Amino acid sequence: MDVDKLPAGPHAVPPGEGRSPSTAVPVIVATNVSKTYGRTHALAGTNLTVHAGEVLGLVGHNGAGKSTLMRVLAGLEGCDEGAVTVLGREVPAGTRPREQDFRGVRMAYQETSLCPDLTVAENIWLSSRRGLPRLRWRRAAAEAVRLRLDEIFPGHGISPRDRVEDLSIAQRQMAEIARASLASPLNLLILDEPTESLGPDAAQSLYAYVRTVTARGGSVLLISHRIREVLSVADRVAVMRDGSVVEDLPAHGLGEDDVLLLMGAETAVRGATGANPPAAPRNAPRADTPVVAELRGATGAGLNGVGLRIGKGEVVGLAGLAGQGQQQVLERLWRPVRRDTVVHGTRAYVPGDRQRSGVLPLWTVAENLTISAMRTIARHGIRRPVHETAVAGDWVRRLSIRGGADAAMADLSGGNQQKVIVARAFASAADMVLLDDPFRGVDIHTKTDLYGLIRAEAAQGRSVVWYSSENAEMAHCDRVYVFRAGKVVAELVGPEISEERIIAVSFAEGDQPPPAAALASVPTEPTSTRSVAAPAAAGNSAGEHRHD
Amino acid sequence: MTDALTSALPTRAGVRRSAPAAVSTIALAAMVVLCASLQPDVLTVPGFSLVLSVAVPLIFAAQAQMILMSIGDIDLGIGSFVGLVTVIAATELVSSPLLGTLILFALIAGYAVLGALIHLRRVPALIATLGASFVWLGLGLFVLPTPGGTTPEWLASFGAWQPTSFPAPLLPILAVALLVYLMSARSTLGVRIRALGSNPTALERAGLSPLSSRVAAYTAAGALGVLSGLLLSSQTGGGDVSSASSYTLITVAAVILGGGSFRGGSAVPWGVAIGGMALGLVSVTLSLLDVATNLQSAVQGGIVLAVLAGRALIGRVLR
Repeated sequence: MDVDKLPAGPHAVPPGEGRSPSTAVPVIVATNVSKTYGRTHALAGTNLTVHAGEVLGLVGHNGAGKSTLMRVLAGLEGCDEGAVTVLGREVPAGTRPREQDFRGVRMAYQETSLCPDLTVAENIWLSSRRGLPRLRWRRAAAEAVRLRLDEIFPGHGISPRDRVEDLSIAQRQMAEIARASLASPLNLLILDEPTESLGPDAAQSLYAYVRTVTARGGSVLLISHRIREVLSVADRVAVMRDGSVVEDLPAHGLGEDDVLLLMGAETAVRGATGANPPAAPRNAPRADTPVVAELRGATGAGLNGVGLRIGKGEVVGLAGLAGQGQQQVLERLWRPVRRDTVVHGTRAYVPGDRQRSGVLPLWTVAENLTISAMRTIARHGIRRPVHETAVAGDWVRRLSIRGGADAAMADLSGGNQQKVIVARAFASAADMVLLDDPFRGVDIHTKTDLYGLIRAEAAQGRSVVWYSSENAEMAHCDRVYVFRAGKVVAELVGPEISEERIIAVSFAEGDQPPPAAALASVPTEPTSTRSVAAPAAAGNSAGEHRHD
Repeated sequence: MTDALTSALPTRAGVRRSAPAAVSTIALAAMVVLCASLQPDVLTVPGFSLVLSVAVPLIFAAQAQMILMSIGDIDLGIGSFVGLVTVIAATELVSSPLLGTLILFALIAGYAVLGALIHLRRVPALIATLGASFVWLGLGLFVLPTPGGTTPEWLASFGAWQPTSFPAPLLPILAVALLVYLMSARSTLGVRIRALGSNPTALERAGLSPLSSRVAAYTAAGALGVLSGLLLSSQTGGGDVSSASSYTLITVAAVILGGGSFRGGSAVPWGVAIGGMALGLVSVTLSLLDVATNLQSAVQGGIVLAVLAGRALIGRVLR
């Protein structure tokens, strides 16, 4: 795992030799940039500089503010405070960034920004039309993208006339990267998780191309969860945490473990000292608890041989980086249609996106609260308003929901709306409650109330399955499964659960393809042995359940 | 060798996309054969012209509907709009051609404003165009309360034009399909319009204005609606604001039969031409089969549903 000895990319110039980034005008400088969405401080006084001709790696855990910073750097959003300076021209806070200021800054999005119904060439025209002729633009765009794809990804198999919707996910990612790179001048190329859906060969050729860009004088900002890749290709590494860049170090001499430590270790300490409430005492999981639900080698739709058990009265956490299969597990438990999933009893689901899928905005709090429980409260299909009112009143008191049971849902604050949605699930008679990252952007007091509620309900025999993108929340669980690439990479029990360990395990690249430059020198690990960065993390992995 | 073979054959995805239009083509051919067996004169040039002429204004309106559906919107006012144009054509365009022409351009501008309104106020297109349909209807009734008037001579003579070498209605049908194809599939304007229906975020990130794309689409739809109204009045010889009220939903059916979708993103001008002709032929076939006029709409709707079901089936097989 030690990257120090790995050779850098083929075109690499050793940092410090043959480069003098400080003399030239920096490509982009973010000075004290802050950005707030509602209650969430996405960026809190961030500073970042990208020099000409360098590769800067940007790492950080979920919610550290990477995506917001990138949106600001790419000129998609203005910042609330501070300033962004592009090639010496300052874009002050509070103004909507003008497109011409950010013309040399190009970004390849993880989710791609291609139009699926259009051909590759047409997509290229949309985003790179400035360099294309007005007549015969289609042919020029096709030629440009074909050349660029051949340069970055030899053997890509993409025709410029293909519609994007007909391409594979890896090919779409390639087209997206080619799209972003087609600009002149290309001052800064931002790559957001570029290798997440690429195979090892494509990743290797991409990083070779990254070196070509810097050799031509452009800069690359690389955002990736694959720390080893970042370390092998970047000149400098910036570590983000809680909305600001906390470290900015030369990549040379930095190890994967050092970066992991910078990303999370101190946060866990802070969490224990009061910013987050300490975890409630929990009952140690017993082997004889009856199993409520079980997944055995669940595969398909983002899952790759996941095995896990949910016991009665247990709070089970699903952790790891966002989008590694946790939500698919909740989906399986909610609708156990396949044979690899066994679920006993009823379930209730708490969606994370309350605006889209959780709230009936025109109804009152009481109506929102009792809609799931209504069937069990009713007798012979006739509603019993008195009982409903009693149940609603009880929950409003328990969670101290502001405004009372008769308030209109839309008049409530976001936090109080979230309380109602969580209470709705617990007010039903469901044996198992599924939480889909429900506390994002909720204030700390509400969270404290809800954590208490979860523990109290679990003590009464309810099972809770809880996906959270905030690792600190996992401290309230009895057991935590950490996900990576649709697999369970670790099972943490009781005192083992800590933010540090979750971060360490979720970034473990044991079964990932080795990064580009490292490929030559690192022997490929056999996939059966799962190597993880932290000790005691290799607990109950998916493999144990796979055979039954 | 296998490489040469696979490159010569259309891709699976391509087959899937053109399947609806192919189904409509088969239905069209079947109906022509059926009509010809019942009434052999259908296969003569004048007979075929007569059969197709019903479809001409419908196809123009359907192309307008297709453009709006390609940005993910739907136009519930196109029927009344075409009706209003026939009224203007039968009144103002005769009495003072200049004023009439200006009014027609103002109607196109009205569509552009409607598009801007939909975008800026975030009104669902469904609601806004439904509201607009009452405006068109009200204006039409105000200008010409009862059906009547006469169309200008040049328009009437175009409607009566009967070349002997080929069926006259094919000319406008193919011309408008070609025009819309060049606009929506070959031009950069078309790319911007389809991108709006496909992925508005990508359009915005590319530094292009979704507003101008939407306004351009509505302007094109308005222009095609005006052409549709002129063609309709050239056939009927007068103006009637409710003469095209059935167009609103039949145009949607024509787009769907031609391979378009409510999702937005795809433009199918040739498919719309085929779908429109097939729908026009349905009523002819039913008359020849002596189906009671009262039942015709029901049978027409049933055929549309059957084709849609067949299309869904083919889509699933080819997935």
